[in-house]
Amino acid sequence: MNAVTSPPDVAETYESFVTPIAADQVKMETKNLDFYYGKAKTLHGVNLQVLNKGVTAMIGPSGCGKSTLLRVLNRIYALYPGQRAEGTVMLDGQNILDKKIDVATLRSRIGMVFQKPTPFPMSIYDNVAFGVKLYENLNKADMAVRVEESLRGAALWDEVKDKLNQSGLGLSGGQQQRLCVARGIAVKPEILLLDEPASALDPRSTAMLEQTIVSLKKDYTIVIVTHNMGQATRVSDNTAFMYLGRLIEFGPTQQVFLEPRVDRTKAYVSGKFG
Amino acid sequence: MATLKHSRRMAANAVFTTVCWIATGVALTALVAILWSLVVKGGGGLDLDVFTKVQPAAGLKGGLLNAIIGSVFMCSVAMVMALIFGVLAGTWLAEFGRDSRFAEVVRFLNDILLSAPSVLVGLFVWIVLVHPFHGFSALAGSVALALIAVPIITRTTEDVMKLQPPALREAGLALGAPHWRTVASIIWKSSRSGILTAALLAFARISGETAPLLFTSLGNTSISLDVTKPMASLPGVIYSFALSSDDDLVRLAWAGSLLVAITVLGINIAARFATREQKRS
Repeated sequence: MNAVTSPPDVAETYESFVTPIAADQVKMETKNLDFYYGKAKTLHGVNLQVLNKGVTAMIGPSGCGKSTLLRVLNRIYALYPGQRAEGTVMLDGQNILDKKIDVATLRSRIGMVFQKPTPFPMSIYDNVAFGVKLYENLNKADMAVRVEESLRGAALWDEVKDKLNQSGLGLSGGQQQRLCVARGIAVKPEILLLDEPASALDPRSTAMLEQTIVSLKKDYTIVIVTHNMGQATRVSDNTAFMYLGRLIEFGPTQQVFLEPRVDRTKAYVSGKFG
Repeated sequence: MATLKHSRRMAANAVFTTVCWIATGVALTALVAILWSLVVKGGGGLDLDVFTKVQPAAGLKGGLLNAIIGSVFMCSVAMVMALIFGVLAGTWLAEFGRDSRFAEVVRFLNDILLSAPSVLVGLFVWIVLVHPFHGFSALAGSVALALIAVPIITRTTEDVMKLQPPALREAGLALGAPHWRTVASIIWKSSRSGILTAALLAFARISGETAPLLFTSLGNTSISLDVTKPMASLPGVIYSFALSSDDDLVRLAWAGSLLVAITVLGINIAARFATREQKRS
């Protein structure tokens, strides 16, 4: 079990090691998932299990396909012609890649937070209420309760409770990102997808966001893409290491980081490449 | 050797800079001359009568009230039409048509329309809206002006919407909002000041258009708000009075020209403010 010393070779076969999750604890699962950007194949037969009410971290060097994989899970890639996924993605026993699936309804069950904060050009209150109004008909009082709950859930309430009518664009970057988390959980999704949510944040905002993620775990299934390995160890239950569009190693986070079974994983988590 | 090269470069630089200065000077002189003669010749005629009386017959005194009302009316109706079609077309190009073959064709045709001579637009509207109904009308005039404004608004709307970060669109969709809803509640809102700028620039452009109106709304010596009847317009009155042998009419034409110039200038300044606001946010 020596660390990889030679540069990785595309032609070599890929050793992989997966520690499966008990079937009754799986919320979402990809099977033989391939992904194409036009003619370029960027995911190769990925089999990933997502733990129900847990945090799954996806790590790997830039361009390894972890963001692509995340974008398959809510089919946001379908916005762009030329991008397509093959294989199956099961969510509660249903294949979400099926053409008959209504993507809007699907996405209302799966929230997403992006690398850069994306507050809508409206008030803080309306940012949170926007998604709720799409699928629920709440009266004013109930909506106010929902907005407060969501902002509390995202650890933002105390900072914005006196300026809910001000534009979301006026918040700091870290606050904007937590606003996006609040907006995501306001619609009460089952799953939250986080695409490097802390990459544009300072250390203090990052720490607050991580606390938020850990506290959300009891209610939500979370998948987080991160470049920060410390972050993966702090927040996640399971970790998936990806490399060149393949899932190389998957298992409990402790195991992946402390006793990786695959050389390449070991080299990556110990900082030797990537 | 090196100093020779150096002095040659210095000389070339001096010549080039001088030529640039002269070219700028010529362009500015023309602009200042136009504005100066407008102010000198139009400023004197710009009295209260211009805004309170309708255009006179030859030999009598009068104002431009009918033409001002006509211009504002026709331009406003044209802008309502142009905004509806232009913003929707631009939205379609930016959000739904995107790189499709059909969208490329539409974009290309729109660019051609953008530079089409306005007299052609007037002639076209005359063929479809004036000739078949045996009469000039304010509606035909508005349609002609709208046809000139639509490509401007379409193009700018598309450009501004494409400038919005893709993640903003994805964030709307990721919440489960249908694409149209994401566009209507989020993308339009964040593109608002850009679209406003487009509207102002288009308004400035059509408020000075003469050729399309000569074929369509013709002119009217009294105040009219009937869209099926001919209607007066400032550029139309300027056109018919400017070469008149009656000094009072010529003075009115200059006053009208100054009025149009001030309006266009004002709108352009407003557009700059709108753009600046967009950059700040």
